[in-house]
Amino acid sequence: MGSRASTLLRDEEIEEIKKETGFSHSQITRLYSRFTSLDKGENGTLSREDFQRIPELAINPLGDRIINAFFPEGEDQVNFRGFMRTLAHFRPIEDNEKSKDQNGPEPLNSRSNKLHFAFRLYDLDKDDKISRDELLQVLRMMVGVNISDEQLGSIADRTIQEADQDGDSAISFAEFVKQVLEKVDVEQKMSIRFLH
Amino acid sequence: MESHGHRAAAVLAGSWLSCILRAPRVGALQEPLLEDAGLENISWAAEEAPGNDSSEHAFFSLDYQHVQVPFEITLWIMLASLAKIGFHLYNKLPSVVPESCLLIFVGLIMGGIIYGLNDRSPPVMDSDIFFLYLLPPIVLDAGYFMPSRPFFENIGTILLYAVVGTIWNVFGIGFSLYGICQVKAFRLQDVSLLHNLLFSSLIAAVDPVAVLAVFEEIHVNEKLHILVFGESLLNDAVTVVLYKLFRSFCEMPTIKSVDVLAGVGKFFVVGLGGVLVGLSFGFTAAFTTRFTKDIRVIEPLFVFLYSYLSYLTAEMFHLSGIVAIISCAMGMKRYVEANISLKSHTTVKYFMKMWSSVSDTLIFIFLGVSTIGENHEWNWPYICFTVIFCLVWRALGVLVLTFLVNRFHVNTITSKDQFIIAYGGLRGAICFSLVFLLPDFHRKKLFIAATTVVILFTVFIQGMTIRPLVDLLAVKRERESAPTVGEQIHIRFLDHLLAGIEDISGHWGQYYWKDKLEYFNSKYLQKILLREYDQPKSSIVLLYEKLERKHAIELAQAGCSSFLCSSSDRTVITDQKLEDTPNPDVLDNMQEILARNLYRIRRTGPAYNRHTLPGDSEPTERAKEILILRHTNLLVEMAGSDTCSSRKESQKEDSCSAQGEATPQVRLCRSFTVGNTEKVREVKENRSKSVCAIPPAQPSGQTWGGRKELSLEMYKHKGCSGSPGGV
Repeated sequence: MGSRASTLLRDEEIEEIKKETGFSHSQITRLYSRFTSLDKGENGTLSREDFQRIPELAINPLGDRIINAFFPEGEDQVNFRGFMRTLAHFRPIEDNEKSKDQNGPEPLNSRSNKLHFAFRLYDLDKDDKISRDELLQVLRMMVGVNISDEQLGSIADRTIQEADQDGDSAISFAEFVKQVLEKVDVEQKMSIRFLH
Repeated sequence: MESHGHRAAAVLAGSWLSCILRAPRVGALQEPLLEDAGLENISWAAEEAPGNDSSEHAFFSLDYQHVQVPFEITLWIMLASLAKIGFHLYNKLPSVVPESCLLIFVGLIMGGIIYGLNDRSPPVMDSDIFFLYLLPPIVLDAGYFMPSRPFFENIGTILLYAVVGTIWNVFGIGFSLYGICQVKAFRLQDVSLLHNLLFSSLIAAVDPVAVLAVFEEIHVNEKLHILVFGESLLNDAVTVVLYKLFRSFCEMPTIKSVDVLAGVGKFFVVGLGGVLVGLSFGFTAAFTTRFTKDIRVIEPLFVFLYSYLSYLTAEMFHLSGIVAIISCAMGMKRYVEANISLKSHTTVKYFMKMWSSVSDTLIFIFLGVSTIGENHEWNWPYICFTVIFCLVWRALGVLVLTFLVNRFHVNTITSKDQFIIAYGGLRGAICFSLVFLLPDFHRKKLFIAATTVVILFTVFIQGMTIRPLVDLLAVKRERESAPTVGEQIHIRFLDHLLAGIEDISGHWGQYYWKDKLEYFNSKYLQKILLREYDQPKSSIVLLYEKLERKHAIELAQAGCSSFLCSSSDRTVITDQKLEDTPNPDVLDNMQEILARNLYRIRRTGPAYNRHTLPGDSEPTERAKEILILRHTNLLVEMAGSDTCSSRKESQKEDSCSAQGEATPQVRLCRSFTVGNTEKVREVKENRSKSVCAIPPAQPSGQTWGGRKELSLEMYKHKGCSGSPGGV
């Protein structure tokens, strides 16, 4: 697809991706064309620069973190499989999937995995807790310059206090889930309806 | 003397109006009023003459007729502008009553005065003046400042609403009104189906002028704004075709199915022909500006001349002039802006806004003036049913079409949005002018009356109530349960995350065509239409450097520097003891602070604003803030660690690819040029020395220039394409 794609997607690759992520054939080919259009270097992988070329991402406060989430630990390039794996978290949960076999591995777009993804964006040092500092960092990114540090600090304190149940002054994953689930329909909110 | 003066004043007032409203015909002097005025003037002068000994040496003489036309035009424009100042002097008024209502009100008063003085109807607004002089500036302004990204993202939906929605409305209203006419009690039997369809074809179309005027008062998100606005602009093609079709049908004795098919074909001709005409003029304009390097002062003129020519040419061929002028503006914008100097660019923007503002004001005033008079036949059942059917059919159309649209789209249109789209379908001056262009038949006055009532109803009632209703709907949703502080944060966090993932994954098919277009653009169009790259940019680069420095300094003063200090102290913060129960006041305060200060997702601001230039509005400021914050984040990290291999920031517009192709092997380390200039320079030194993939031979000046161009490209893109809305 497109005159600049150097490697076309082979059928068996599509099958593998389909099994791993659950996307349909047409969705995979469409996302592949998106991948190749981002891949200006035409070497089959995306670098951070390729992501940063998306103009809207530049003014997204969480832009850098979202981009980092695509790259595996310590690496600078992400191939199509990795790209799809990350995007799979945002696939909508279909009804017939909810009652699928419980024996298989949890699908990437289950509610718990979606929340894990979001949690990992907060928790940079990967200790499974959102500490006050991490929360402050995120808050500072999301908020304008009119708020002083003290105000921000008290907001962060309040957030932790609302969620914290085991008294460690940090938000664990379970507490995070509880705090979010009260108000947010995660399946709906964290899904993007890709066109069939 | 007093009565003479009074009468002269009255006659003058009347002659002002008749003159301005019939300006093309002023040469013929057909209006009796005009003759009276002329005679009055001459007789007045003649009266004076015998009084003096030698009339050739009169120190003071009055020759009004000589300057009559331009004088009156200027006075009308002056009245319009003074009215605008008057409204804004009372701060509260524009928030309750939209400006368009106030202007119509002023027009009504003026019309009433003239009617009272002259005891005959004030002359109506000439359709020629409206279509040839008053409408093009508004549409040009709309087309030029149309933010192309949301427009093309939603083009499918917009076209669906514009074409299918308008046809639906026309036939719906036409047939229902015909049904009403069948009722014997209303004495409307002689209005045939064809007449009803003709009337509905002009009343069904949503008017861009009125829509714009009202939507500025209510703040809706970008997508919604562009939907209603785009629809109101593009439905002109359908309206033109249907109106002309039905009108020709009225004059034909029999209608064959061939004629109907011809009508359908005509629609495509009108629409696509308009686009072609517009694009060809647009590219010619871009080509012309390539050679204007030495005569910068007339550069803005080309933009206006070519756009106006495209409009007139399209009208000449009975194509859609509005579509032509919009495609001309959108087509030429990119290239012209790259070619002309910055000052010309500013001139173009300001003049467009000025003209469209004046036009807009004049239209509404004339609307008010023309309403008064004896042009109406008040058949209340017909009129009431017209209003009802307009509302009902629009609501139905929006519901059905939105249902279709939502099945295919990622961003669904919520029911609140649907309500705004349906309720925001205002009619305005285009309907009014079209109804006066109708051929004279005995029921024409009925149609005029109905049109007037519909327009007044939509502008006044719908215009004034839409804002309270929107607020009511919004408030209702939120009343369910106020979110806690943590929830607010997490929800906004997820919003940003989703927006980012959406942008990464793109929407279906869109990028394929966009990439194809970019490819075509960089290969062929840019080579023909753009001047060489180096020269225009240097002056722009310097100016932007100045602006960015100024902004950075402002931000530093506002507290960014304190932020930098505190972030380095982060590791020193010890665990604080959480308070047991904070006061409810503190809690509310927090929520309010957050609600006010959390960055909104992009796409929640209006896409287009009549009264401010893009780049001056708040969303762009926010975007700049975010960029600066991110950059300072980067700087802090850079200062902490020397390696930047994983932290290269490069922002590049796709349109810069042509420039990037010039140095394909080099991967420049680009960054924003914001932040304290000293700090940036220092960092730059660090980078160019050790860290990034810059070949050592690269002179730092060129890197600097490259960086500038990229950040400026981004800013220009954001600024000129109408800003992406708040984040």
